[in-house]
Amino acid sequence: MMDLIAPHLPLLDLIFIGTGYALSQAIVFRAGTFSVATSGFAALGAYCTAILTVKAGWHPAMGVLCGTLLGLFAGLLLSAPLARLRGVYQAIASLAFVEILVALILFFEDLTGGPLGFHNIPRAVTPWILFFAMVATMALLIVLSKGGIGRAFDAMRQDTPVAASLGVNPTKYHVLSFALSGAIAGLFGGLDALRNFSLDAHQFGFSILIATLSAVVLGGRRAVWGPLVGVTILVLLPEIFRPLAQYRQAVYGLLLVLVMAFLPFGVYDTIAMKLHSRRLARAGMLKPKAGS
Amino acid sequence: MIAQQTLNGLVLGGVYALFALGFTLIFGIHRIMNMAHGAVFMAGAFVGLYTVRLGMPIWVALPVAMVGAGLVSIFVEVIAFKPLRKLALADAELASVISSIGASLIILSVGQYVSKTETMRFPFGTVSVDAIVVMGLRVTMLQLLMLGVALGMVVLLAYYLYRTPQGRQIRAVAGNYRAAQLLGVNPNAIFYQTFFLSGALAGAAGVMVGLAFNSIQFMMGEPFLLKAFVAIILGGLGSIPGALVGGLVLGLLQSLSGAYLEPTLVDAMIFSLLFVILMVRPDGLFVQSLPESATKRV
Repeated sequence: MMDLIAPHLPLLDLIFIGTGYALSQAIVFRAGTFSVATSGFAALGAYCTAILTVKAGWHPAMGVLCGTLLGLFAGLLLSAPLARLRGVYQAIASLAFVEILVALILFFEDLTGGPLGFHNIPRAVTPWILFFAMVATMALLIVLSKGGIGRAFDAMRQDTPVAASLGVNPTKYHVLSFALSGAIAGLFGGLDALRNFSLDAHQFGFSILIATLSAVVLGGRRAVWGPLVGVTILVLLPEIFRPLAQYRQAVYGLLLVLVMAFLPFGVYDTIAMKLHSRRLARAGMLKPKAGS
Repeated sequence: MIAQQTLNGLVLGGVYALFALGFTLIFGIHRIMNMAHGAVFMAGAFVGLYTVRLGMPIWVALPVAMVGAGLVSIFVEVIAFKPLRKLALADAELASVISSIGASLIILSVGQYVSKTETMRFPFGTVSVDAIVVMGLRVTMLQLLMLGVALGMVVLLAYYLYRTPQGRQIRAVAGNYRAAQLLGVNPNAIFYQTFFLSGALAGAAGVMVGLAFNSIQFMMGEPFLLKAFVAIILGGLGSIPGALVGGLVLGLLQSLSGAYLEPTLVDAMIFSLLFVILMVRPDGLFVQSLPESATKRV
């Protein structure tokens, strides 16, 4: 069994890290904010961890902790200005945030390595650590989403004024969603830095942002399982169909277009909704007959 | 020195304005963000380059590139936006961003395949390298061409939108989609027209940028799109005069600050400016009423 899995361990790493990023993205979507700041938080976490571990000689665990806290802090900071905006304006503002960070990382060369990248980071994480981080994050989010917080997020996404009139404090939950998103992305950014040996600022500007968005949208943005499903599909698809690996970009693009056209709520959420309505129909709760 | 940088900035700004106009035209009419606009811009530069390589002069290559980019833009509309029109507007907003990113990735990989990931350039002498000196300012033929194309396109677009029946139909659809439909406007024809126009403008900008920076590669659209957001937001999303002014301001800003500061720092400043504008005047400089972005979910 291990022989079968061992060569594919790097893929598992990618799935665990990618799911972490995607969960961070999904949580702001769930709370009704169209922000794409996740890759910015991830960049902060990754560079913070790398700098503290390599340049300051801290223990990697402390580095990751600081990266997580920095992500959390950035999430709190960014939540206030984004609360003033709606829809596409939020998307553009958060994109600007990511681009400012990337430009600053490129500028402060002696600290971050600038355009050459940050190298010689010790590999301090094992797949198990990544796995536990992902499971713990998912467990936390599942617990939160079953409770009042999840309902508040859903209400806010569907109609903020109505949610407010029902006693949900939009500001509070907006800030909460950003704090969670920032901390999760900071954590996985830090872990990513300790897995990857080196960091390149440009990857946070575009490739991680696109990969994360694609995964969330493909998998589904309501349920906690959606991001995992989306990341798994995106990581494994080019591996299963080897010829596709060369055209990874085009496959991503085609997937995004097709999913949006045919499954606008993502794979997991669409299936979950179908099952839910079938269960309701079987219990006779859907389509009540006239006169009943 | 300052005067020379101002001139360079105005020329660059004209190109930004062309690009921003195409983006803002689509937003004004459809209320969606076309994230594939950068890829369409790249496609325009590619078509222009290959036409020149076939031995055509630039004044043939430019219109060919515009038509080519216009067709690519219609392709984006067909695969990325048309299937989403059945969704409610709030859902369509996210969906159209994602699916246009998808369309963009498809176009980018075609570009990557065609160019074999190489950076290409127009052959030397595509545009005469002569320069004329006016009142101490050095103006190259290329700069004259860029200014001329930008001005010409803006005038043509304004004429088309505000002085022709087709333009009136486009504005009617932008104002009220259902009412325009009831009055006999065929929305699909309008969509194809606006996407073609938008793509053609991006294509012209692509050829100009390819000529000016002498570097054409498949990723050239992405940084341009990101920066053009500053022009678009500064002038107000969906506002045509706004995109024009925003483009010029952005060009001036980049050229003047680029002469004294490091390029990455200039990027950081430009994106900080974008962030600040969004905080202070999200609907741009020219909106007097309460900004839409602050009052209702777009």
